[in-house]
Amino acid sequence: METIKNYLETMFASLPNTAEVRKAKAELLQMMEDKYNELISEGQSENTAVGTVISEFGNLDELAEDLGLSKEVEETRTKESEVPRRLITQDDAMAYLSNNTKKSLFRAIGVMCCIIAVAWTIMLSSINPIGGVCLMFATIAAGVGFIIYSNFVDAEWKFMNTELCRVDMATAAAVKERKRSFEPVRALCVTIGVVLCIICWVPNLFSGNIHVYAPALMFFLIGFGVLLMVYASNVYGGFERLLQLNDIDTVSGTYDMTGKAPVKYINKAAETIVAIYWPVVTCIYLIVSFLTFHWELTWIIWPIAAVLRTVVVINCRADEE
Amino acid sequence: MVEISSDVIRGYNDTIILSILMKEPSYGYGISRQIKEISDGKYAIKETTLYSAFTRMEKNRYIESFTADEDPKGNGKKRTYYRITDEGRTYYGTKCEEWDVTREVIEKFIAQKEGE
Repeated sequence: METIKNYLETMFASLPNTAEVRKAKAELLQMMEDKYNELISEGQSENTAVGTVISEFGNLDELAEDLGLSKEVEETRTKESEVPRRLITQDDAMAYLSNNTKKSLFRAIGVMCCIIAVAWTIMLSSINPIGGVCLMFATIAAGVGFIIYSNFVDAEWKFMNTELCRVDMATAAAVKERKRSFEPVRALCVTIGVVLCIICWVPNLFSGNIHVYAPALMFFLIGFGVLLMVYASNVYGGFERLLQLNDIDTVSGTYDMTGKAPVKYINKAAETIVAIYWPVVTCIYLIVSFLTFHWELTWIIWPIAAVLRTVVVINCRADEE
Repeated sequence: MVEISSDVIRGYNDTIILSILMKEPSYGYGISRQIKEISDGKYAIKETTLYSAFTRMEKNRYIESFTADEDPKGNGKKRTYYRITDEGRTYYGTKCEEWDVTREVIEKFIAQKEGE
């Protein structure tokens, strides 16, 4: 049955993603499934049944004509022959993902190094201030090194930025499966990361003889928290990247969305606002925090921003058909 | 065995489907199976042809579609069923008359060839 589903998806891959086309696909799948089940119950082998169903399916050109889609089909065909999309095979996709995991780790370590670098100067301020500064620069250098190296790790996949690519249904399904199994890991990483960032100032409450190490510990907590968040979001980004390769206007663009229509925004400006929302909030948070140095209060920016975002998104999103 | 060419039968796919819907409403594969049975397995309609015919005839109001919660076997699956309309019955009648004329004409030529 999987073979039949994949066959149908391949046939429909380049058709425009409209309600009519989705209905046609669902109806055809239903008919094929019925036929397949009957052949199996008649005692045919799975392979023979699949063969019969596929050979009696017919062709889509005829259907496109009756659905009034001939023009669109023709357009997608020309578009594809002019700018062919490079097919990412399932093996490629899996290689890309494991590569991306490696890249995410290097990048996360790099970012962490840059954050914890300051801690050395605080820890060694009374014992060996110059040594502390040296260590700080050494750690920053290492961090930058990691980040630069992380960009070389996926050098062979850079073509995905410049070339149009596509994945087939089976690959999309495999990637989706990996994405789903990563979901709990991601949730755990982000939760721990956020908690670490929130409790980072706790060591400052205990003065006494650890007072030198307390601020240093704060940077270690933030550093590790950020490492977890950067790692999780980068790995996750890899899955999304692959799933968003296909042309969003065609049926193949719906592989990661289980039938949901893509989110559309009222205009380009609205799309930009939503896209830069979190980076801007992060900037505001850091600027306010560093200017006031009231870290124990400034975290309130995050929950406020989260609520505001809902309002912003609702206003920017175009109504669905 | 000589197979039916899809070019020849194309003009009568609608008639065939309507004749089955005259008896009772049915769904995609149900219709396809009946066509195969009635034609003694000589005509297997393709899925795309069938679905095209559905959309075309629905647009022309010869048939109506509705969703039934459960199919006769009772396995609780939602299915799209089709039923014939009055326009459909009239159209079916016209097509039957048309076929009588068509057959009459074609047979004359076929008979002529045999007679040589």
